[in-house]
Amino acid sequence: MSAALSVVVDATLITLVLALAAFGLAIIFGLVGVINMGHGAMLTLGAYLMWAATRMDVPFVLAALISALGVGLVGLLLEHVVIRHFYGEPLETLLLTWGFFLITTEIIKIVFGTDLREVVNPLPGSFDLGTIRFPAYRSLVALFAIVLMVAAALVFYKTRIGIRIRALMQNSEVASLLGLNIQLTYKIVFVSGSFMAGLAGALISPMLSVDPYIGNIFLVRSFFAVTVGGVGQILGGTLAGSFLVGGMETVFALVSSQVVAQTIVFAFAIVILRFRPQGVVTSR
Amino acid sequence: MIEAKDTGVLAGFPPRVRRVREPVVALWVFAILALLPLMSSGYVIYILPQYMLFGVLAMSLALLWGFCGMLSFGQAGFFALGAYIMGLCLQHAGTLGVNAAYLALLASAMAGAVIAGAVGYFLFSAGVRDSYFVIVTLALSIIAEQLAVGQSQVTGGWNGMFIPRMQLSFWDWRLPLDSDASIYYLIVVFVAVTYSFLRWITRAKFGKVLAGIRENEDRILSLGFKVHLYKTATFAISAGLACAAGALYGTHAAFVAPSLAGVLFSTEVVVWVAIAGRNSLLGALLGGIVVSSISNALSAITPQYWQLVLGVLFVVVVAFFRGGIAGAVHRFSARRRG
Repeated sequence: MSAALSVVVDATLITLVLALAAFGLAIIFGLVGVINMGHGAMLTLGAYLMWAATRMDVPFVLAALISALGVGLVGLLLEHVVIRHFYGEPLETLLLTWGFFLITTEIIKIVFGTDLREVVNPLPGSFDLGTIRFPAYRSLVALFAIVLMVAAALVFYKTRIGIRIRALMQNSEVASLLGLNIQLTYKIVFVSGSFMAGLAGALISPMLSVDPYIGNIFLVRSFFAVTVGGVGQILGGTLAGSFLVGGMETVFALVSSQVVAQTIVFAFAIVILRFRPQGVVTSR
Repeated sequence: MIEAKDTGVLAGFPPRVRRVREPVVALWVFAILALLPLMSSGYVIYILPQYMLFGVLAMSLALLWGFCGMLSFGQAGFFALGAYIMGLCLQHAGTLGVNAAYLALLASAMAGAVIAGAVGYFLFSAGVRDSYFVIVTLALSIIAEQLAVGQSQVTGGWNGMFIPRMQLSFWDWRLPLDSDASIYYLIVVFVAVTYSFLRWITRAKFGKVLAGIRENEDRILSLGFKVHLYKTATFAISAGLACAAGALYGTHAAFVAPSLAGVLFSTEVVVWVAIAGRNSLLGALLGGIVVSSISNALSAITPQYWQLVLGVLFVVVVAFFRGGIAGAVHRFSARRRG
C-alpha cells in the first residue's frame, strides 16, 4: 500500500516539476503561437545563472529571481531583435528559435565551460508524512509550481492584461482595431514565457547536475506536455499534459527501463497528436 | 519572371535560368570528385566519402523540406539506423549466404522507407502538418538515440559498434574495398545516382505536385490530389535514402555510436541545408560536403566559436535569405542575365 502511495507521490512530484518546466513554453506557444525551440536553452541558462549567483553567496530565492530576470531579459532581446518580425510564421519562428538555442548553448559553453556544475540544494533531506517519504526540496518546488500556475491563471482571467491577451488570441485583427497594442502585448507574453523558463531552470537546477544540454531533457517532454494537454490551455492543459507525460513515464519506468518508458510515452504522445490534435483538454 | 523574389511561388519550380545551369554545374562537381583520387591521396581521399554521404543526407532533407515544405528534425535517426543495420549484417556476414553488404543496403533502404511510410501515413492521413511534424520527427530522433543507447546487447550502447569494411561481389568475383580509393569510387557513384534520381523525381510531375503542396496545400487538396499519399511517399523516399547513405557511412567510418542518431546531428543537417539553400538539391549536396568538412577542420581548432558562427549564420539565413547560398547565387546569375 505504501509502495503504491509513494509511486503516486513520485508521479505527482514529477508531473508538477515537468509542468513548471513546460509552463514557459505553454505560455509562448499557446498565447502567441511561437514554438520556442530555444526553450531548452532558456532552462539551461536559468540553471547556469542560478549556479553563478549561488556561488557568489546570493540568497537562494533572490538568486532564482535574478536568474529568471536574466533569462527574461534575453527573451526580450530575442523578441525585439528577431521574433517580432516573424509572428504568424510558425515554421520560421521555429527555425529562428532553434538558431537561438544553438547560439545560446555555445555562449554558455564558452562562458561557463562544459564541466558538470552542482547547485547546492537549499533543503536537503526529506520529511515523512505517515509512511510516505517526501523529498523536501522537490516537494517545495512542486508546491510552488501550483502557486505559480494559479497566480498565472488569475492574471489571465482577472486582470486587464489578461483580457488583452485573451482578446489577442481570439481575434488579433479586431483587437488591434479596438486599439489594443498588439506588438506590446506579444512582447509582454514572450518575455513572461522566457521569465518562467528561466525561473524553472533555476528551481530545477539543484535536482540535477547542470550541463550545457540540461534543458533539452525537458524540451521535447515539455512540447508533448503542452500539445497533449492542449495548446492554449495554459493551466489545465499543461497540468493534464504533464501528468500524462511525466506520470506515465514514472509508472512505466517501474516495470521496465527509463529508456523504454520514454519511448512508450513519446509514441503515446504522437498517437494523441494524431487523434486529438487539439489536446485532451479543450475549452467548453 | 526572372526578377521574381526567391520567397515567392516561383522559388520551387526550378526557374528557367537554373534549368540550363544546374546539370552543368553538377556534371562539373561529379567530374572533379571522380578525378580527385588521381591527383590526391591520403586523408582527403579517406575522409571525403563521409562528407559526400552527409551531402546525401542533406539532399534527403532538401527533398522533404525544400521541395515539399516538410521540415524534419529526425533525418539523422534514419542515417544512424542504416549504419546499425549495416553493422549487424556485416557482423553476421558468414551466416547470411549472400553478400551481407548488399543485403544491408537493401534492408536499410527498406527499413527507412517502411518506418517513415508508416509514421508518415499515420500522421499525414490525419492532416498533421508543419510544426507538429517537426516535433514528431524530433521525438523520433530522440527515440532512435535512446534505443541505440538502451539496446546495448545489440548496438553496443554508449560504446558504439564497430563495423567491418564491406566488399563488392559479382557471383564468384570478389572485390574488397580496403583501399581508400576503391570505396571512394563506390560512394561517388552512389552519390551521383542519388542526385540524378532526386533530380528526376523533383522535375517529374511528382515534383510539381510536391511544390504545389509546399506553396498551397489546401489548393492542391481541392484539386483532387491525394496530398497525404504524396507526403507519405516523399517522407519514405527521403528516409530510405538517408538510411542507405547511413549504411555506407557505417561501413566506411567503421564505427557507429548513438550520437549519430541524436537531435544535435539531426539539426546540424538542417543548418547545412538552410545555409546552402533548401530549394536546391545540388546546393544541399555541396552544403553538406563543404559545411561538414569545415566543421570537422575547425572543430579541432576552435569548436565552440565555430558552432557559434554557424548558429549566427543560420539565424541570418533564415531571417533574410530563405533561399540560402544557392538561392543567392541563382538570383545573382539571373540578374546578370538581365
